[in-house]
Amino acid sequence: MIELIRVSKRFGAETAVDDISLRVEKGELCVLVGTSGCGKSTTLRMINRLIEHSDGEIHLDGQPVRTFREETLRRRIGYAIQSTGLFPHWTVARNIGLVPRLLEWPVTRIQARVEELMNLLGLPQEEFADKYPSQLSGGQAQRVGVARALAADPEILLMDEPFGALDPITRETLQEELRALQARLHKTIVFVTHDMDEALRLADRLVVMHQGRIVQQGRPIDLLRAPADAFVESLLGGEDRGLKEAALLPVSERMRPLRASQGHAQERIAQHASLREALSVMLWRHAERLIVIDEDDRPVGELSLRRLVRARDDE
Amino acid sequence: MSEARSWGRQRALCHWATPFAWLVLLLALTLGMEALEGGFRLLEPDSREIIYTRADFLVLLGRHLLMVGTAGILAIGLGVGAAIAVTRPGGRDFLPLVSQLASMGQTFPPVAVLALAVPVLGFGTVPVIVALLLYGLLPIVRNTLVGIEGIDAGVREAARGMGMTGGQILRQVELPLAAPVILAGIRTSVTINIATAAIGATVGASNLGDPIISGIVNGNTAYVVQGAVLIGLLALTVDSLFAKLMPTRG
Repeated sequence: MIELIRVSKRFGAETAVDDISLRVEKGELCVLVGTSGCGKSTTLRMINRLIEHSDGEIHLDGQPVRTFREETLRRRIGYAIQSTGLFPHWTVARNIGLVPRLLEWPVTRIQARVEELMNLLGLPQEEFADKYPSQLSGGQAQRVGVARALAADPEILLMDEPFGALDPITRETLQEELRALQARLHKTIVFVTHDMDEALRLADRLVVMHQGRIVQQGRPIDLLRAPADAFVESLLGGEDRGLKEAALLPVSERMRPLRASQGHAQERIAQHASLREALSVMLWRHAERLIVIDEDDRPVGELSLRRLVRARDDE
Repeated sequence: MSEARSWGRQRALCHWATPFAWLVLLLALTLGMEALEGGFRLLEPDSREIIYTRADFLVLLGRHLLMVGTAGILAIGLGVGAAIAVTRPGGRDFLPLVSQLASMGQTFPPVAVLALAVPVLGFGTVPVIVALLLYGLLPIVRNTLVGIEGIDAGVREAARGMGMTGGQILRQVELPLAAPVILAGIRTSVTINIATAAIGATVGASNLGDPIISGIVNGNTAYVVQGAVLIGLLALTVDSLFAKLMPTRG
């Protein structure tokens, strides 16, 4: 659990972070989003004390971060950044094992852990262990970066635009992998991005920052439905909001039980797919009704265009 | 297994072939200059003495190496040390100063450094070593600075963020990554100083510059050539040795 209490950061006369309070619960993925220079990266880096805060208090599980030795604190917190910061003169395996080595784990334990993480992040040991960072693609390098951040099994993970430099397809893949990873590992994650779609896709809690302050925070769906002011609204993208909301809701939310008599719909959609995907299938296939299927391809319901677009109060 | 090992040994031999060849040539000439007397007579048909004999070439070579080596080791220690010091948080204030001194010093001709050292330190081996040290310091300082400062900001950020201490970052990240550039600086420094040391003979430090100075004074071109060739071969040997030391990882 991370708690920021009335934290400020001033660089000379300039206030980068202005009196913010934030609580990230254990196991929560909290995304700080905002335009560049809004203080989101500074906020993140104050947590592991790469930047020292000027005012207020930052607590880790109730203990002020200033009471830790800097290095001890950082070894307890995973850290992944946009440029990956992989050491170019070390192999992938050695890069991943960095923090366990700093913590003086026995060699065999480090080896086992590195192997485990490479499997977890889809980097086959025999192919990647001895490669150097320069031999990796952007997506592979970022996977190694995430593996390195997870190496000592920290409870807290700080991620500073980790997917920012990747092409859209790789970025989306890694976002999905991060969500899957989080579903298994339940880390406390603070994730910084300027990409609102990424923020909406990943966040349990969304924190919008502007000019060093927190403008609004809450569940992504709540922010979409009730943005606090014009800035948040513009960030959420005016006309796109409907699609963004649809992307957050699963098909299962709007489907209704399958009626045998109306079994003529041909197009199918998985029940865990988003309403946005369902709408896309309808548009593409010129279909007004979709059969909703479960993981085993069994029909479990149906979704009509009317039900999809009608608001919460329909029927 | 043994086949692989012998193949590896062969490759290692190949790797060191160039510096080894220069070294053999250097030693052969140092020990057997007399054999070329006939050739040198063509240069100096009228001189009574053709081969420089006032001191053994091997002794001169040894003294030459000693001066360059001593100055080199001191320059590496001081130069790398100074560059490391001014790239630490505590010494950052001095970075612009040291960096400027390092580039300015490069524009000084070595003869000028020696000329300035003698009035202060007198004649003999010590002023030569000091002059070589000062002159050799600069490429090392500059290259160490460039090497350390040139490290990707993300790498540094990650190293700190992962919880490495300042010393760990220096030893495990900064120095290994800057090593090729630092080594290039040392190579420049030592190679230049091998040539520069010859000027030391003018201020009474006996080394491979002796035959050259003596040849100039007595109008004996053969002496000049003998000294120059040995210095040239020594520079080539050392330089090719450094070339092989440079890491080649892609």
